[in-house]
Amino acid sequence: MRSQFICVDALNGDGKLVDDYTPTAKSGATYHPLTGNLPIKVATTGVDVFYADKQALFDVSLDIPDRSVTAFIGPSGCGKSTFLRCMNRMNDTIDTAKVTGSVRIDGEEVNDRSVDPVVLRARVGMVFQKPNPFPKSIYDNVAYGPRIHGLAENKEEHDAIVETALRKAGLWEEVADRLDLPGTALSGGQQQRLVIARAIAVNPEVILMDEPCSALDPIATARIEELIDELRENYCIIMVTHSMAQAARVSQSTAFFHLGRLVEYGPTEEIFTNPKDTRTQDYITGRFG
Amino acid sequence: MHISLLTALALLVLTAIGFYIGRQRAYGAGRGRAASLHSLPNYYGYYIALWVGAPAFLLLAVYGVIGAGLVNMLVLKDLERAGAPLVAQYEAQLDQDQLYQDLQEQLVQSTAELEAVEREISYIRRENTVQAERYEDLRARLPEVSSQRISLINQIDAREEEIYLGVFQGAPVEGDGFTARAGFEFSHLPPERRQLYISNMRAYAFDEALASRDTPELRAAGALFRPYHQILRYSVAGLALALALAGLVFSRGKIAKRFRARNHVEKALSLLLFATSVIAVLTTLGIVCSLIFESLRFFGAIDWRLHEFLLGLHWSPQVGIRSDQIGQSGAFGAVPLFAGTALITVIAMAVAVPIGLMSAIYLSEYASPLMRSWAKPILEVLAGIPTVVYGFFALLTVGPFLRDVALMLGYENAATQSALSAGLVMGVMIIPFVSSLSDDVINAVPQTLRDGSYAMGATKSETVRAVVLPAALPGIVGAILLAVSRAVGETMIVVMAAGQGANLTINPLESVTTITVQIVALLTGDQEFDSAKTLSAFALGLVLFMLTLLLNIIALRVVQRYREKYD
Amino acid sequence: MTEFKRAPQISDAVARRLAQRHRAEIRFQVYGLSAIGVAILVLLILLGSIGYKAVSAFSAHTLTLNVVIDPDLADPRGDRSESSLRRGSYNRMMQTALETEFPGVTSRAHMRELFGLYTAVNAAGLLQKVVKSPDLIGETVTYEMPISDDVDLYLKGRSVEERFEDVEAPLSLIEHEDGVALSSPAPVFEGFLTLVREAYITRAEAAEARASAAFDRASLPGIDAQTAEAERANAQRELRTGELWRERVTRLNTEGLTLQPDGPRLLVRVNEGVVRVTRLSADGRSAEGEVVLPLENLAQARHWTRWILETPASAARLTDRQIVWTRALEERGFVKKRFNTWLFTRADSREPELAGVLGSAIGSVLTMMVTMLLAVPIGVGAAIYLEEFAPKNRWSDWVEVNINNLAAVPSIVFGLLGLALFINGFGLPRSAPLVGGMVLALMTLPTVIISSRAALKAVPLSIREAALGIGASRMQTVFHHVLPLAAPGILTGAIIGLAQAFGETAPLLMIGMVAFIADAPSLSLGGFLEPATVMPVQVYLWSSGVERAFEMRTAAAIMVLLGLMIILNAFAIYLRRRFERRW
Repeated sequence: MRSQFICVDALNGDGKLVDDYTPTAKSGATYHPLTGNLPIKVATTGVDVFYADKQALFDVSLDIPDRSVTAFIGPSGCGKSTFLRCMNRMNDTIDTAKVTGSVRIDGEEVNDRSVDPVVLRARVGMVFQKPNPFPKSIYDNVAYGPRIHGLAENKEEHDAIVETALRKAGLWEEVADRLDLPGTALSGGQQQRLVIARAIAVNPEVILMDEPCSALDPIATARIEELIDELRENYCIIMVTHSMAQAARVSQSTAFFHLGRLVEYGPTEEIFTNPKDTRTQDYITGRFG
Repeated sequence: MHISLLTALALLVLTAIGFYIGRQRAYGAGRGRAASLHSLPNYYGYYIALWVGAPAFLLLAVYGVIGAGLVNMLVLKDLERAGAPLVAQYEAQLDQDQLYQDLQEQLVQSTAELEAVEREISYIRRENTVQAERYEDLRARLPEVSSQRISLINQIDAREEEIYLGVFQGAPVEGDGFTARAGFEFSHLPPERRQLYISNMRAYAFDEALASRDTPELRAAGALFRPYHQILRYSVAGLALALALAGLVFSRGKIAKRFRARNHVEKALSLLLFATSVIAVLTTLGIVCSLIFESLRFFGAIDWRLHEFLLGLHWSPQVGIRSDQIGQSGAFGAVPLFAGTALITVIAMAVAVPIGLMSAIYLSEYASPLMRSWAKPILEVLAGIPTVVYGFFALLTVGPFLRDVALMLGYENAATQSALSAGLVMGVMIIPFVSSLSDDVINAVPQTLRDGSYAMGATKSETVRAVVLPAALPGIVGAILLAVSRAVGETMIVVMAAGQGANLTINPLESVTTITVQIVALLTGDQEFDSAKTLSAFALGLVLFMLTLLLNIIALRVVQRYREKYD
Repeated sequence: MTEFKRAPQISDAVARRLAQRHRAEIRFQVYGLSAIGVAILVLLILLGSIGYKAVSAFSAHTLTLNVVIDPDLADPRGDRSESSLRRGSYNRMMQTALETEFPGVTSRAHMRELFGLYTAVNAAGLLQKVVKSPDLIGETVTYEMPISDDVDLYLKGRSVEERFEDVEAPLSLIEHEDGVALSSPAPVFEGFLTLVREAYITRAEAAEARASAAFDRASLPGIDAQTAEAERANAQRELRTGELWRERVTRLNTEGLTLQPDGPRLLVRVNEGVVRVTRLSADGRSAEGEVVLPLENLAQARHWTRWILETPASAARLTDRQIVWTRALEERGFVKKRFNTWLFTRADSREPELAGVLGSAIGSVLTMMVTMLLAVPIGVGAAIYLEEFAPKNRWSDWVEVNINNLAAVPSIVFGLLGLALFINGFGLPRSAPLVGGMVLALMTLPTVIISSRAALKAVPLSIREAALGIGASRMQTVFHHVLPLAAPGILTGAIIGLAQAFGETAPLLMIGMVAFIADAPSLSLGGFLEPATVMPVQVYLWSSGVERAFEMRTAAAIMVLLGLMIILNAFAIYLRRRFERRW
């Protein structure tokens, strides 16, 4: 079934990307129908995902606004994580996975063969379910991205990037005096903020979060949620979450997935107060999931 | 060597320069802003360095592998040409020599006679006709006929040698005389001695100290090497440098802001990684090909009587008298070796399986963590001891001990080298193999099965016997098969402790021989590479390889299927 | 109601069976424990027997000679040039030095025995000394060298059973042409005669026992005529042997004893000299003998020593005279026991006392260098490709099966491959460490690949995702994150594989690394192509040596080999413990 919000088809010409992904001017961006004043950052049309012979995602079309938080909710195995991983082509790392359909960021096709996933992933940061800092120092964790992407010329610039990223992730105060400590020595919540800092350090436009709080205690979760709310000012944040409360707290728009299909997508208040589909209603009222 | 080293050094310098050029150009293209480039500047450097270094070094490597052979080939061509008149002269003299021709004729007759006798013998044997007297008579005549023939062959050889020496000494020495003589000398050498001649020639060309003989012919022939060597060496060096420069120019032109240098470098790296994984496959291929190829030559040498090799009861390859003798040269019935291998393997398994399995059961089901942490490494020490040490132990401690015990018990023919001592010691060697494999298998049995048994009031040993072992049985069988394949292929223990006599016996106190022992016996010491005796080692190797391969495949299948069951 | 009736019966039956079941349980445990016990016991016996043999090879007796460097012998051309010095006859000087110690030795045969106390090869060491400092010519040099292996064994008490018996009885000595006559009023030699007589009787009885056994076999039911005949002939022969020994006993009792080289030997130490007894009278009161070490005087002696050598000369490979001289040299301080440095500083030699493991150790080092440089990079590369990059398809499955099978191919097959491919195919030299290293590298490759893959697999997926997620390429992910984290595991596997290759013998036999190498290969680039051997092969070569001293040296070489292997494995374990990371 098609999703209810048929999106305006993507925009910038033929969707071809040049060798190198340099951000193009956003002047031609169309504004998102849900939010009105926010431009569309990510537009997907007819995305199907297959793992080996099994289809995991069916024909998902959906537009995501910039500078806001979009939450994907739905029962386990409904394909929300799979869909998230389509946006930075993480599915490429799974041999048997096959993605068809169109995913565009700022109108540029992500699945195009000419797009280097490496460059793409620098623009689309990702935070995983379990905090996964590298077993290196806090400093190296954050500086690794800028280093491989050549974002800094010298030590001072690196230091500056690391500090900025850690500040933005709200971790600077806690770790400023022990940047040499291994990242794995931090607490779970701190680790997750470190991972967010690591993602911010390469200056992404979109940040994908795959259940970022599922491994954390309530206090750490609250801290992360606050952070997400702050980051919303500058980034397009897409998060998968299991917790409907969390989706309600931090997101502006919410998409509900079920059995590999997008069931309903709309402003968060509307989804939670006035769902149009009975399955959505059943899910938020706790009949299944 | 010298010039090659110099070239290699020059290439290294060029590669380094290429790297810097790449980096500099990348900075230039990005106007000093690394972030605006597609890849990090270093990758542009690597890209150029690859283009500069890889093709040129590859060329050098190829030259290193085939260079010497190529020069040899060219020189041998020259030698052949130089020696051709003398060879012609020699052949003409052979043709004209009455004595030689007579001898050749006699040889033909004698060969025919021998063949006739052998044919009749094999006819009688095959048809099982009752002609005992005739058979005995033929059997008695066989050595006579064959020795007559051998003496003829020796006479022919002697006559050939005489004429050869006449021609050789009569040849002129002025001008290119020595080269011609060398060519003639080389053409007259039997194949197995040619390699030595070539290395002596090379010694005079490059380093006299390595020469084992000093004749004017060798010196003259050695002189032939230098020009070829020089030309090839310089042209390869020049070509390598040219390749490097061409690579530099080509790759330098590609550097641009949007150029995906990292992708190209990574592609090259992943090709290299792929190549390393191919080596493992090539090894198998090499084993299979070389074994099959040499075995085919062996079967050719025994006239494709495969059944005689696989089913024959008599093994005495050492008897081969002459390589050009037709028909039989030694007896190649490998059954005694198979039987010996089987006997020793059975003894080894009789030691290793009960001890290995019981220790595995005890360690995984009963032992405290502390005991496990001590006993397992100690058992693993047994696996780490080199097999030659086990061989020494079997030969000097176990063998004499068993012999003394046997003598004490009244068995008089006891020898130090026996199937029993080799088998016992091999069994000890295999214990850790059986125990660690069984340990894995037993640990893979789910705890729920055990719990089910305990819940019904079974004791530990009943649970082990009635639940754990049956559940683990396929895995244990696989482990035992792997251990058998290990025992079949084990070499040093049997070489040192089992003996050489190809006895067809099941008496463990006698000395027996195995496939591996015979391979070692046939291939150590002096050997001419083309004789059936030497080649038979490869046929044995092929049998060994097939046998172990089969055991492994079955074992791995069984174990894998077992794992799947409980995953 | 029926349940209640039956319940006690069941519990009775259970109770009856319970004891039995518990006994079975204990039996089972005992089996398991004893299996482990047997394995450990065998390990201890193995190490113990080798260690026991090896201990005596770590010490060696040396012979020190005060050699006068005779200018005429050392410098035949008289110009003190090196080439002239190298032509000198240094062995002659050493012989002279020994002759001056024993002026009584004159006959050629005896001199040969005397010079048999050391190996002439040692002259080379003296030559080196003189060539290094020609000033020594004309001087007296104190030169220490290893004593002959047979003498060394004797001094360690490993080859000759000997006994010294102090006697308090008058012994008169009369010198005559062939030697001396010894006589005493008491039957002082009776004990020795008894010893010999008993030995003869034992042999006679053994022969008679064998004869009767053969007769028994000949009369077994169902034996064929031919075998029976052979057995009877056998029995007759044994009977005759028995008779011969009995005859000897009779002769001993009536005529006295002439000492034979295949029986015990008797020496008499009297008046600071030694007499070797050749004949004894039947009453055990008088003897004939030959003077080996000159006596101070021929006065009647009251205190003297019977020196009985129970091991026959033929078994000890040492003559009576050599034994006497050895003890004399020892008393005079020329023979000393010290740590066997030759074992570690010399290459192989035909003379056990000069044979060392250095040559094969260098060969092992060269070979292992080749193996390491080939097997580790190729193995790790292949593991990275298969684990991180290879698409999961038929090809990669096939490669996987292939590698698993390769790991179980007998090592000797790799030797055949090396012979056919590297030596006959590529024309590389036989016996060279390069070829040996290549063969062992192919053999080790599967081990390295399998352990490296396991180590790579143990690095959690989250690390890879994290790196990929911020835009690292696959190659960067592997080389910046996965490989460093897997490195300890990979290294451990590689070291274990190398240790295996280090102890491997069979494939190297195939490519001719069994040569006798008297010069250690040079530790240089050229050394990779020189003929060499490795330590396990050295063990194999020595174990087939005829001299008994080689047996001990083999054991010593094994101890060195095992020591090195323990160090390698301990290093691997240390790495694993130190850097192991649990995810």
